[in-house]
Amino acid sequence: MSEGVVLEGRALVKRFGPATALAGVGLRVQRGESVAIMGPSGSGKSTLLHCLAGIMKPDEGEVTLLGQRVDTMRERERSALRRTKFGFLFQFGQLLPELPAVENVALPLMLGGVPRGVAVNQAMAWFGPLGLAGMESRRPGELSGGQAQRVAIARALVTGPAVVFADEPTGALDQATGQATMDLLVEATRGNGASLVLVTHDREVARWCDGLVEVRDGLVVSGTATAGVPR
Amino acid sequence: MNTLRLSWRLLRGGGARGLVGAGLTLAAVAVSTALLLFAVGMNVAFEARADREAWRNPVAAQGTAAVAVQSARPEYVGERIISLVEIAALRPGVAPPPGLARVPAPGEVWMSPALAALARELPRDELSGRFPAGPVRIIGDAGLVHRDELVAVVGRAADDPAMVPPAPSLDRPLNMIPPTPVAGFAGEHGELASGYRILALIATVLVVVPLLVFGGAAARLTVARRDQRLAALRLVGATPGQVVAMTVAEAVVVAGAGALAGLVVYAAAVPLLAHIPIGGGGWFAGDLWPGVLLVAGVLLAVPLLVGLSAAAGLRQVVVSPLGVARRQTPPGMRAIRLVVTLAVLAAAPVVGGIGYGAFVIMLGLGFLSINLAGPWVVGLIGRITTATARGPARLLAGRRLVDDPRAAWRTVSGVALTGFVAGFLGLLSPSGGLMGVRPAGELRLEVPAREVAAVAKAADARLATAGVPATVVVSGPGKDQVDPREKSPAKASEKGTGKAAARLLTAKLERDDPATVDRARTALAGLSPGHSATSPADDGREGGMLLNDVRTGTIVVLTVSFLVAVASAGITAASSILDRRQTYALLRLAGTPLSVLDRARRAETLIPLTVMGGGSVLAGVVCGLPIMAGAVSVTGAVVLVGCVVLGFAGVIGAGALTRPLLRSVTANPAPRPD
Repeated sequence: MSEGVVLEGRALVKRFGPATALAGVGLRVQRGESVAIMGPSGSGKSTLLHCLAGIMKPDEGEVTLLGQRVDTMRERERSALRRTKFGFLFQFGQLLPELPAVENVALPLMLGGVPRGVAVNQAMAWFGPLGLAGMESRRPGELSGGQAQRVAIARALVTGPAVVFADEPTGALDQATGQATMDLLVEATRGNGASLVLVTHDREVARWCDGLVEVRDGLVVSGTATAGVPR
Repeated sequence: MNTLRLSWRLLRGGGARGLVGAGLTLAAVAVSTALLLFAVGMNVAFEARADREAWRNPVAAQGTAAVAVQSARPEYVGERIISLVEIAALRPGVAPPPGLARVPAPGEVWMSPALAALARELPRDELSGRFPAGPVRIIGDAGLVHRDELVAVVGRAADDPAMVPPAPSLDRPLNMIPPTPVAGFAGEHGELASGYRILALIATVLVVVPLLVFGGAAARLTVARRDQRLAALRLVGATPGQVVAMTVAEAVVVAGAGALAGLVVYAAAVPLLAHIPIGGGGWFAGDLWPGVLLVAGVLLAVPLLVGLSAAAGLRQVVVSPLGVARRQTPPGMRAIRLVVTLAVLAAAPVVGGIGYGAFVIMLGLGFLSINLAGPWVVGLIGRITTATARGPARLLAGRRLVDDPRAAWRTVSGVALTGFVAGFLGLLSPSGGLMGVRPAGELRLEVPAREVAAVAKAADARLATAGVPATVVVSGPGKDQVDPREKSPAKASEKGTGKAAARLLTAKLERDDPATVDRARTALAGLSPGHSATSPADDGREGGMLLNDVRTGTIVVLTVSFLVAVASAGITAASSILDRRQTYALLRLAGTPLSVLDRARRAETLIPLTVMGGGSVLAGVVCGLPIMAGAVSVTGAVVLVGCVVLGFAGVIGAGALTRPLLRSVTANPAPRPD
């Protein structure tokens, strides 16, 4: 493993019945680096993200986080790893509708055993820098799409993860809001020393990242940054 | 027709998850319908009992129309009550009472099957010796309240002393009817039977209010599955009328199937329900069958109500296609709910005094107003839970309670409503405390004053012959005036003013085991025509039975409430999982342990159930304690605790049953934009 590599996937294969989603993909992510995975629908980009994040076990190949094998861990260990070392950002639906924004952000900390008061205070600290001051007690339904995504960014970063995985994070936003959200996401991730792995089909969004990997039919067809590791 | 077709397609095209929602609605409607039929059946059953028993409550004939003379009084064997009826026909060819093939001839004895069996089983000097000798004829079901009832009908001659209208009696009990000339045996509903019918009506209101709330919730479950799709239909131009029609059509189809399933469940449960002992025995299965018209009414009303409820649940979609897309802070429950509840509860004692009808209406209004305040209280509990939560599970539970207090109230309302009554009555002991300890070995017999000396002497002799050691004393009218100095077993003494037409003769038995007491009763039978020897303990038996029955009824209602709570908890849990499957999936994906989500879901039901249901039971127990006077019914306590423990376990179990559903919907982490 090279110095500074946080996350690495090697020769990953994943099949769903007769369909092969990943046909031997490799990917390497450096500390603080942001990598965009692009590809058309059904190319295997989300499956690659799920394998890298320990959500799915690949059928073949290996995934390591800071040198530690992820793919051989049991579900409970992978679950704990996702809670403590990874942050997640999705297109929509990730905020609990009944919790106010600040408690949505504090939830991952509380799940890690941080006392509620401390967790809420830490969560509050994210609202000003992300332009959400005054919205702490609003519920997701009272936020705009862009505001909700910024709350989700705070929630992904609040535990100080090593890697943030984002799956089409701007898919439900208009272009201007999407750009602003990407700006915040990349800056906040970098500012916190975390790496970013982002799945998108939008080249404009991918441009915000340091590296770009294109996937098609379960294979990496091009890599424009240090990230691209053809198997 | 197109609407129906499209609804059917939507239902079928909803996939496995859509069908799960429809299946849950169907199950909920089935449970509601079965319980509703039980509530209706219960009233019909009490009505049928009152009808079958009416012939024993004679209506005095006007003028010269009398065809017979009829009297009734209670007899006792062991701790059981025998309903003893004496009839003297005044002319031939009189139509017999229900269950009897003919009006009994003088000296003829008719018995209920249970009494006939008991008479064969017990020695003659304990029971059958009280009745005229000869073959015993059996009373048919048409004349019996229930199959285990002990009834005896004895034929008398018109000039028999037992059939002569009596002199003024000493403290005549309500259940003793003196010889009454009657024009027929139609009779009228007895006071006790009417009392039972009122109690049944109260129980019905207790059961039906939470059931209606629950049924409405079930309807909205279907809507919850469909609302976004229907909103999409609105977006593409469907009219509000079309959307409503489709929703109502789907809900009514599902509810119709559920109502039919509920009918099948109820029909299957009737043989079991017939074993619930009320009034000293179970039920004829036919009693609990509400009849074709009422069943048809329920089967029509349930889908209609569900359809209306579904349409009401869709208001937002109809008003705005975006209505369901956004989720906002729910408006706070207004404290006016509490004010209205308190006002209704305060008015209840005043209005309740006007009459039975007003009482039942007021009771219904009272429960509905408690239903108004219930969600407000749940919201308050939610806010307290949220404020005091330290971990994520309690925080999630508290927030959900604040977010949708009505959902939690639907689950706990029945238990909260009936818990107080169950707690209050559950521990009362009919034999002690409320009734006081009454001696069983002190038999009293009313006798005409002029014959008292002779009867006392005869009583003494009969008891001696029967081998029952006893002291016989005589007291005057009014209360017992037994002089403790009168100890001679051989001589009866006479006390009192001597002016009254009747005196009380008391046999103080040296032993009061049931067999000895029954031998004494049998020995004294017929000594004073028209009267039976009864003990102070006997006087409390009817009251004790009523208290037992009210307690049984309360436990039945509490059980039904828990069943509603269990079903509601299951439905709410499943609906909550389906509603937020995507959020749950993403939470799990982000590393949230399944156990945290499970704990949150459990706390969401258990906290209000414990506070409101458990609190209501406990409050009932605390309020009942002062009148128990230390005599706590152990059986009652065991049944109450068992019912509460099983109820809570059922609610937890219902939540746990949905865990596989939670696991399955969170197993696929890919967010679904459906």
